[in-house]
Amino acid sequence: MAAIREIEWEPCLLERTPNPELEQRFRRETGRPGDMMQFFEANDWLADTIVRLSVQINTHVHVNADIADQVGLAVSQDNSCRFCFGQQRAFLRVLGFREERITRLEQDHLTGDFTPQEAAALQFARRVSGSQPLVNASELNPLREAGFSDIQIRELAATIAIHLFFNRLATLGALPPEAAEQFPDQWWVRLLRPLLAVRVQRLRFTGHAMSLRPEQHEGLLAAIVNALDGLPIALQLREIIDGMMSAGPLTPRCASLIFAIIARALGSQACEDEAIGLLRSTGLDEQTIAHTLDHLTAPGLTVIENTVVPFARETVWYQAAQLQRRSVEVQQATGKAAFLQIVGITALINALCRISFLRDMTT
Amino acid sequence: MSLLVPAFGLSAVALCVVAWRERRENARLRTRLEDAAAELERLQMAFSRFAPDDVIERIIAEGSADHGEKKEVTVLFADLVSFTALSERTEPSELVRLMNGYFERMSAAISAHRGYVSTFIGDGILAFFGATEPNPWQGNDAAEAALAMRAALADYNQELLARGLPELAIGIGLHRGHGVVGLVGSRELKEFAFVGRTVNVAARTQELTRTFATDIILTERLYRTIDPAFQVTPLPDTPVKGVDQPLAIYALDGARVTTP
Repeated sequence: MAAIREIEWEPCLLERTPNPELEQRFRRETGRPGDMMQFFEANDWLADTIVRLSVQINTHVHVNADIADQVGLAVSQDNSCRFCFGQQRAFLRVLGFREERITRLEQDHLTGDFTPQEAAALQFARRVSGSQPLVNASELNPLREAGFSDIQIRELAATIAIHLFFNRLATLGALPPEAAEQFPDQWWVRLLRPLLAVRVQRLRFTGHAMSLRPEQHEGLLAAIVNALDGLPIALQLREIIDGMMSAGPLTPRCASLIFAIIARALGSQACEDEAIGLLRSTGLDEQTIAHTLDHLTAPGLTVIENTVVPFARETVWYQAAQLQRRSVEVQQATGKAAFLQIVGITALINALCRISFLRDMTT
Repeated sequence: MSLLVPAFGLSAVALCVVAWRERRENARLRTRLEDAAAELERLQMAFSRFAPDDVIERIIAEGSADHGEKKEVTVLFADLVSFTALSERTEPSELVRLMNGYFERMSAAISAHRGYVSTFIGDGILAFFGATEPNPWQGNDAAEAALAMRAALADYNQELLARGLPELAIGIGLHRGHGVVGLVGSRELKEFAFVGRTVNVAARTQELTRTFATDIILTERLYRTIDPAFQVTPLPDTPVKGVDQPLAIYALDGARVTTP
């Protein structure tokens, strides 16, 4: 598995579009500056999603925060996301993790000296991240044997999914990783590390159990969201997913095609069925749906759709720099506004389809 | 009281000695752990030359290399035409350069379409699609890869001509079927392989490119799964060794042509 410096990474392909109001909201809700935000502020839905999930990534009701942070590093490394990897590394360093410990996390994740809970969580995180093939419910036993309860497993799955979302967001936009990579080695950070650690500790929120309202049990990917009911993330995900299809210039049909292709690539039949239902509701005929899913193109698709469909497939398993070069082409073909929506939807669907094993966990 | 002072002193010395020994032992263990980690890293590097990353990780996690999995895979078998004659009339160092250039370009074409180059057999290339990761579009990927290899070879031939070297010609056979993927070989040398009749059929299909004077042939079994927009020409059903029925085959002429 690649070390941080070995990850090939292209120059950033998104422009910063400062929006003081949104940045203030980010700072208010998360307690930290929103480096990532500035690249996505041109899309309201995506900006709102980033704020919500940035709060949730540090909100833990049942899972130990240290384990959740280590899981974040493992997932970012597995996805070769240099931006998130650098951020997660900096976060752990500030919290007081020694460099050797982090290196061991990166290199010896299978044989390193971890507690049984850490080892099981890290292995699970990498398995979900790779999803070759998708994780099934029977694979949760090692977590249970390590002492995780079902609600902790659900929360862990949600944490992994949020990291997966941010990894793809940063990778598809090739966000600049240098600032985070250099942060822990700056003299003032080393000097003030204990104080910063206290500050960072305060950014971890202890969430409270909360339930979805009855009407929120319905909707796209309801089975996954409902499996998280009781955790604060469920409510956030419900609202994020509900806004996804109308979040920019892409037609609902094009957005649904992205959903269908990612579900097919990952082998999630339940997600694919939901996506096909959406495509039918947009009026797309059965033959075009089948042809698109079988061959990643179809005579009845628009030029934009024929660009986006094969790209959606490429976001499932990739080499970062290669994907970023394709992102440049797709951004040129679709325009900046549509590209932001494509990035947001592919990142979210990739994350949620990977935790579709939650469908088989009864709440 | 007078006895307590030396007793405390002795205890303190004993504690210091124990602490020092503990520290030395910890340092020794840490060094051994770091050495073991370095060794593991070296092994991973060595393995990664002939097996995909996820396979290596599974081996380390399970502690056994005897993991096999049934899969449906598309096999691409490529071979240079008249290579023996070429090798006899070319200088050894020139031949090695020429071959390396060829393998480099063909591997790039295969990898760009999500194929996994399993091995080079003499001048032949064996590659798999859908063996290392789930791939519902493996048939189209293999067909696109074969066309990309054709295009890359045409470019390479321009270079060879400019260097005063003979042009290369290629035969590619494509077939799709079930088999077992895993690490196979001796204790000293294992490689990631797809084992089964599908590989033999792909190799036999490749041989038919000579019979029909074409460069890419795919079997009916694969043809049924690829986009009908690919340009193909049906060829006569042909008996091949190891297959009961004559093989229904197609020449792959060109890329997909989609009517808007």
